[in-house]
Amino acid sequence: MQLGTMAWRNLMRNKRRTVITAFSVAFGVLLSVTFTASGDYAYTNMINTSAVMGLGHLSVEHPEYQDTPTMDKRLLDAEEIRQHALQTPGVTAAQIRIMGQAMFASGAKSVGGTFIAIDPDQETPTYNIFLRTLVEGQCFTADEEHGVVVGAKMAEKLNLRLGKKLIFTLTDKNGDLISELSRVSGIFKTGDDSVDGALVLFPLALVRRALGYEPKAASLVAIFLDDHREASALQRAFARIWAERPDIDILRWQQSQPDLAGLIAVDRLFNYLLQFLVGLIIAAGITNTLLMSVMERRREFGIMMALGMMPGQVIRLVLLESCWLAVVGLALGVVITTPWFLYMAEIGIDFSRQIGEDYSAGGVLIDPVMKFRLYRESGMWIGGAVFSLTLVAGIFPAFKAGTTPPVENLKQG
Amino acid sequence: MNNTPLVQLENVSRIYQQGKVQVAAVTEFSIHLQAGEFSVLCGPSGSGKTTILNLIGALDEPSLGTVRLEGRDLAELGRSALARLRRDRIGFVFQSYNLNSVLTAFENAEFVLALQNIPSAERRKRVMDVLGEVGMAELAERRPDELSGGQQQRIAIARAIVSRPAIVLADEPTANVDSATADAILDLMERLNREQGITFLFSTHDQRVMDRARRLIHLRDGRLEHDEVRG
Repeated sequence: MQLGTMAWRNLMRNKRRTVITAFSVAFGVLLSVTFTASGDYAYTNMINTSAVMGLGHLSVEHPEYQDTPTMDKRLLDAEEIRQHALQTPGVTAAQIRIMGQAMFASGAKSVGGTFIAIDPDQETPTYNIFLRTLVEGQCFTADEEHGVVVGAKMAEKLNLRLGKKLIFTLTDKNGDLISELSRVSGIFKTGDDSVDGALVLFPLALVRRALGYEPKAASLVAIFLDDHREASALQRAFARIWAERPDIDILRWQQSQPDLAGLIAVDRLFNYLLQFLVGLIIAAGITNTLLMSVMERRREFGIMMALGMMPGQVIRLVLLESCWLAVVGLALGVVITTPWFLYMAEIGIDFSRQIGEDYSAGGVLIDPVMKFRLYRESGMWIGGAVFSLTLVAGIFPAFKAGTTPPVENLKQG
Repeated sequence: MNNTPLVQLENVSRIYQQGKVQVAAVTEFSIHLQAGEFSVLCGPSGSGKTTILNLIGALDEPSLGTVRLEGRDLAELGRSALARLRRDRIGFVFQSYNLNSVLTAFENAEFVLALQNIPSAERRKRVMDVLGEVGMAELAERRPDELSGGQQQRIAIARAIVSRPAIVLADEPTANVDSATADAILDLMERLNREQGITFLFSTHDQRVMDRARRLIHLRDGRLEHDEVRG
């Protein structure tokens, strides 16, 4: 007779109580999956959206560009860096960009804002949210050196339409002010007014020339990854590759977008805290049930100890009952969570009426449709945490059963 | 030849604290039991019979005095050593059978051998032998709730003797069974004592048990009243 078999039979002795307790474990799984999967989906969405807004998951740039993003801080061989990045497993795209501040003026008004200079031959809507959200016109081609794509809000502010002139003024690599003329070829609308009112896309060739950059120079290479969770590993890999290059720095999205990283970290922390508190409440319920079960069987434990069962074996028996309860609870949890998860992964809940279509946080647009996505490690974490919590909930009852002197237990019943 | 008594109780007292009151369950009790005895602790309820069984069975500790089993002072043994002693040297038969309801008759009888980590094949042989001894081999796969009171008590006896203990302590073993079953159980225990030399110590106030005992230890108010050895 194995203790595990005995523990299972003990658990099945009171099926109704076992099922009710297992349901509380299963409910814990459901809640944990809900919290974690909504977080995994939302964070992934925010990180990927943030990446396609300019800086990628990794950005290769001049070591001082992050702190003082002046136009003299540049990569002289951006194209070589891009080619190298593209050959690295896990990298799906790499784009050469020049980013900076400028004044934009039309015949009517002028406003300050940000520009991103892109190579129209390399850029695709997949890795550039502004090209994906074009509402009028199109992106300039390589032949249109003076083309420009502006945000809808900026177009409204400057009274711009397709084909209209836009004058921009910026400081070049030497710190001198220069102005250039361009014509609106497209208008984008991400939905976030702070972005649509302040951002402009220019052709890379135009800006290179205006800034006095070398033919292959750029302020950064934005690298896009298949999975944002690989950012740290690939950052280390690139650091090794370019260990002899003090003129470049590789930043993860967390470093290049600290606001977003902070927002996600705080939200994740609250998420974990909430899960921990819910877990505690569920664990207290499980402890109570197991303790009740142990107290009802005190005489039985006394008999087993009289027959020679060691206190440690009694403790192990009750802990094995906890283990079985965790297994049953987890299985039940998978059963009740799967339909909910599949619905949320496929359809989700649309909160656009409540928060609008253009809700943003940390400078990133948030998808108003709440959906689920569960990473394998998150699933493992939930399984492990629920199992451990159920096991921990059994510790006190187990010690109560194992450390009470047999003669005390025998007096019961 | 080793003349050390199997059980020695020397000036044993057991005092319980009940709230603010101290209650003496056993007072200055001394007795020696030799291997092979078929003895009975008798006396009215509250006379200390079960307390003495618990003390001999290493389930309880005396407040004063010494309890020795096979010459070993039980006070010198730790919790695990006492558990091992109960497992290897003592068999228990309880008043209300106290079989484990989730185990079959076979598994109940096997329980102590499993605790001793005896290999499965040997366990099976010994358990089936002992179930045969108590006439329960046919019902080995039944659960306790599928057995009568007498059948359950036979399984409890099988469980007590399967590990070949030095002594079997039986607390009111006939209290919950009818006369015919009680006689059958006592016949069985008497036979095991006679044929296999198993030492039995009963606590009872059942006259049928007392009639069969070769030694009657009379208790009153936790003290030895009379120690009667019969031919």
